[in-house]
Formats: sequence, C-alpha cells, structure tokens
Amino acid sequence: MSQHSPSPTRGAPPARTPRRRGRLGPLPWIAPAVLLILFVVLWPVYEMVRTSFLRISTSGFVRGSAGLDKYRKLFGETDLGHVLLATVLWTVAVVGLTMLLSLGLAQLFDQRFPGRRFARWALIAPWAASVLMTAIGFRWMLDRTAGVLNTAMTNLGLIDGPRDWLGDPSTAWPWMVGVAVFVSLPFTTYTLLAGLQTVPAEVSEAAKVDGASAWQAYRRITLPLLRPAFLVGLVINLINVFNSFPVIWGMTQGGPSSDTATSTVFMYQLKATDIGESASMSVVNFALVVLLVLLFLKVSRWNREES
Amino acid sequence: MHKRFLALSTACALGALALTACGSGSDGGGADADGKVTLKLVAADYGDKESNSSRTYWNNLATAFTAANPNIRVDVQVVNWNDIDKQVRTMIQSGNVPDVLQTGGYADKVADDLLYKAEDVLSTGTRANFIDSFAEAGQVKGVQYGIPFVSSARALFYNKTLFQQAGITQPPATWEDVRKDAELLKAKAPGTTPYALPLGPEEAQGESMMWELGNGGGPTDKDGAYTIDSPANVETFSWLKANLVDPGLTYANPATTDRKTAFADFAAGKAGMLNGHPSLIQMARDGKVDYGVAPIPGKTGPLKSTLGVADWTMAFKKNGHRDQIRTFLDFVYAKDNTLRFDETYNLMPVTQDTLREMTGSGKHKDLEPFFALLPHAAFYPLGDTSWDTVSAELKKTVGTALTGDPAKVLGALQKKAKDTAADK
Repeated sequence: MSQHSPSPTRGAPPARTPRRRGRLGPLPWIAPAVLLILFVVLWPVYEMVRTSFLRISTSGFVRGSAGLDKYRKLFGETDLGHVLLATVLWTVAVVGLTMLLSLGLAQLFDQRFPGRRFARWALIAPWAASVLMTAIGFRWMLDRTAGVLNTAMTNLGLIDGPRDWLGDPSTAWPWMVGVAVFVSLPFTTYTLLAGLQTVPAEVSEAAKVDGASAWQAYRRITLPLLRPAFLVGLVINLINVFNSFPVIWGMTQGGPSSDTATSTVFMYQLKATDIGESASMSVVNFALVVLLVLLFLKVSRWNREES
Repeated sequence: MHKRFLALSTACALGALALTACGSGSDGGGADADGKVTLKLVAADYGDKESNSSRTYWNNLATAFTAANPNIRVDVQVVNWNDIDKQVRTMIQSGNVPDVLQTGGYADKVADDLLYKAEDVLSTGTRANFIDSFAEAGQVKGVQYGIPFVSSARALFYNKTLFQQAGITQPPATWEDVRKDAELLKAKAPGTTPYALPLGPEEAQGESMMWELGNGGGPTDKDGAYTIDSPANVETFSWLKANLVDPGLTYANPATTDRKTAFADFAAGKAGMLNGHPSLIQMARDGKVDYGVAPIPGKTGPLKSTLGVADWTMAFKKNGHRDQIRTFLDFVYAKDNTLRFDETYNLMPVTQDTLREMTGSGKHKDLEPFFALLPHAAFYPLGDTSWDTVSAELKKTVGTALTGDPAKVLGALQKKAKDTAADK
C-alpha cells in the first residue's frame, strides 16, 4: 500500500530533519486513509474469518474453537447446493437483462427528442430511491389482498383473481429479477450513455457515406467503441447483483425456507441459528467476490491494452 | 496551510471516532455513592403505541417501589419486541448486564450460567403463588431459573356470521369437522379463506405444535428428546397437505403466510376460522367481527391440553444484587401489580391469586374460555437450552412440509435438532 523509499544511509545530524521527512515520503498524508482502511476494511475481514472458526452461543458467548466444524456443517447443508445454483442464475439473469435493456435505453437517450431532459431525469428515480424501500414497495404492490398490481392485473383481465406472487418461488423469482433489473438500469444506462457520447460522430457519418445500414453501423462501429464502458458496467453490475441483499430480503426474506435465497441472503438466514456457520458462509461469499474483483482488474487492464 | 488544516481535521475526526467507540463503557455492580443500590430493569414493551407503552407501567411501579424501599432505586429500560433480543445480547457481551430482565425466553442465558436460581431471588410466599404448570416450564434440568410473568393460551376462533352463511351450527371438534366446515365455507362464502393456516416464519413453531398436539404428537417426547419427525407428526402434516392445502381450503402458500396476516384477515371478516390467542379478541371487536371461541380440534376430538405460551422474568448474577432483586420481585408479583398489568394488555395471569381474582370478578367474560384452558396448557420445551435454535429452524422451514414431502422435511429438521442438542 505505502511506498517505502529505499532506506538511505544515516547522514549527519544537520541534514537529518529534511531527510527524514523525505524518507517518510507521502506516508503522513496517506496515513489517515491507510488507518481507515485497516480499521474499516481489514479488521472486519479478520474478525469475520476468526468468527468462522469459533463456537458461539446464541447469547453471544464464545465457547471455544470450532476448528473446521462450521465449514463442514455449512457444506453439509442440504440447501447450499440449490442456493449456490440460484445465486448463479440470479446474477446471470439480472445482469444479462440489465445490460441488454440498458443498451437500448442508452441508444434512445442519445437521440434528440422533445422531453429528453425530463426522460433522462426520470431514469434516475429508481437509482435515487433506497433499494430496500423499492423492494418493500413492490412487496406491497404484489400483496395478496391489498396489492395494487394484483388489482390492476385482475381488472385488465391478465389474471383471474389476486395471486400470492411472492409466496411461491416459481413466481417470486421472476418478480424479484424484474425489481433487481429495475434498480440496476439507471447506473448501467448512464455508464453506456457516457460511452456512447465518446463515439466520434465523424466515424458514424463516414460509415453512412460508405453505405452501411443502421444495424451494420451499430454492430461494427458503435458496439466495439462502446466496449470499455460496457465492460465496466458489466463487472460492476456482476459484483453488485451477486451481493444484492435488499431486493430479496425486502420481498421474500429468502423464504419459504431458503427457496428464494441467494448465498448472501442464506448467510443472513444462518445467523438466526449459528453465528459461526453464518461467518463461514460470509468467508465463502467473500472469496467469490474477490474472484469477481480480480476479474474486474483483469478486464480493466485488458481494456487499457486494447485502447 | 490548507494541507495542515486538512490533516488536523482528519486527526480530530479519528480522535472523535476513537472516543465515541470507548464511550459506551458502563458502571458495573455495587452500590451508588450514597449507599443506595440501583437495580437495572430491562423489559419488553407490550403496548402497540406510545400511549399504552409498558414504560408507563414500569415507571409507576418503580416509583411506588422506591417509595416503599428508599434504599433501592430502579432504572427502567423498556425495549420493543423486535429489538429486545439484540439489545440484551449487546448488554451481556459488553458487560453492562441488567439485574432483572423481562422478555420472551430464558434458557439460553442458563446455558451460559448467567442467572440466579428462582429460589434465590423469590420469597417462599411468592414462589408458592405461581400456577404449577408455569413454574415447571421455568425449569432447566429440574431447577427453576425462569420466572413466569404473563401467559396466554390458544383456542379456535371462528367467524359466526360466515358460519351461519354456510349453514354450520357447531364449531368443529375434529379434523374431519374442520375439513367439512371449510368446504362448506368455500362453497357458500366465496372470497374468504375457510381456514387460516399461518406457517410462515413468524410463529410456525406454534401453529405446527397445535396441530401436532391434536394427533398426540409434538416437538419432543415425555423425556424431552426431539421427535420432530415422529410418525404422528408426519401424519399430521400429510393430513394438512391432503385435506386443507391441496383442495385450496386455506392459503395458497401457508409457508410464507405469517400469523399477523391471518389475524388481520380474521379481524377483517375474511377468514372463517383459525387458532388464535386472547389479543385477537380486541382485534376482532375493533373489526366488528362476530366471533366465537372453542377448544382447538384434534384428530378425534378437541384438544385436552392446548398450547400455552408464557413470557419470563429472570435475574442476573453479574452485579450481585440478590437481596435487592428479591425485594423487588416480591413487589412485582404482588397481586395488585400483576393484575394491573394483565388487565391493561388483556393477558393471562401466571399467579394463583391473580387468576382467582380475574376469574371471580366477572369483568373478564371474554377471557373465560382461556382461563379454563390455562392449568392444562402444554409448553414448548423451553427448559431445553437448544430449543431457541431448534425453534428458529422450525420457523424457517417447517411450513415447506406442506409443499414438499412431509417425511423428508421433518426428517431434515429432526436431524438438525439432534445435532444442535448434541452440540450444547
């Protein structure tokens, strides 16, 4: 983190003060930030890993070391398999749909049309609202007895009568994916929109002059030039959606049982029965996120090399 | 200049962080400077709004107590039900332990050896006054630690208007009656839920136990060993699945429907029948629902022993205030005080003199069916220190036995319960 200057041989006392300051380099200035990282990031990680090797009573007393028991218990959970599978499907579905829709939206917002400024502002709304509030809002809109969406769909003749959408995993998943896409769209669209505005107009014009159709120009010119923005949006969304807790917790709490839980929600559910096991699930999650971050770094380096 | 200012302010900010982090230190036990002792009381809030908060009750009680015992002060802290477990856990971990705690469960604190035995902090007279079944439910391995505070018992509530509409004259007494009545309700009172079966996480351990009791089952056997997947319990869930869930006589997804939803539906006149406790009386009255109360139906006849639930008081050893706690608890359990609390919240008493008073005064006609049930109540295995964990597993998963294979779901739960019991 900090760059240590190579230690010089000790000089004569008069020259000492400026030398020392030089030796410390930028350290005094970045020290608060380093300390903050140590306290806020590294220390909790250490505590998390340590907790995963402990036996802890329900009132919070440490009852000694558990060795690898909590990991064994975690990997013995019958639910873990389908939770991990659901996590992968969830991430792929939400990120895939988000990127696809955002490409279209960004293209739309790049055009000149009356009310564009208003439409661009409106797109920020799902971003500006708290995700948990959005999720809870949707839960009530889908409520079996009082939900406004249920009433609306019944009146439109789309369904026969109010349904308990979130009680059944097979209908709860699509709704939750929809809400997660809804809250991911603004960020992704703006990232892509920023990318689109870096595409030089001359290039597109030149293509048009050469007789390229609109689709050809988009596929051969816009998309390749959009790649850096696309990749940044993709990887940040991957991490965000993988870690996404509020949408699922706000809508189903992962239930019934763990049937609508991703690994992050599952970790929280385990907390109710075994803190050590919950911590070991956190460690597994953390490892997966680190993998995603490494992927991100690799992709951004690859980006730089290409450009 | 600018940089120095920045560094200075950063240092200040960090310093402030460090200071506030240490600021939550606490005073331990012992007497105050003036030789008086302050007892720290933490209690749950039974009110649902500011005007009927339990804080008022406890503050008045503390004032009256200090007036009678000038050497003991009581520091009252009332916490709402959603937060009390977490806050108590934080208090215990940070060493800022209360002297007296009034909340939902006690056994996990016994496992960590934090509590006084009941005999250490209650006078003989107060101890003898408890209804036996409750005093017994406060025992861990034969020693009483949990001191019952209030209780409630469960019974079947039914909507008389809907029953009339469906042409039903008698409340159901057996499971077969429940099925038949539910079918009639479904046919004659469309748009309502014939039987409201809440097996969502809020209280699935209670609803499942009420049904299991009707088949001679339950979460544990007589010796306290877990029997979650006993043949009787599996049969209970198979019956529910085949006779209530699959024919659509209850909610489509009982495993995600919470008790508060079922209660709200009943109070809105949208549910035919359900298992409820006395707080539903006021809700039904507010909703202008003409309700009836009957014993919970079992497989072949009504339950002789219904599910009883109690909340608990316990005394912590940490601060060493045993004698002061005893004086205080004797005051808390005096008839006038318990009666006032029970009447404020429509709860059931745990002491014999208060029960006699409430039964005899004629002021509590609506609670009468419940008074009769109290002495025969069956309890969760509260004295088992693994119950809290097992109960959490039940809340989360037991409802899925109605959509999946009951034997498999209950079997997995039984395995977890056994592992937990072995781990303690």
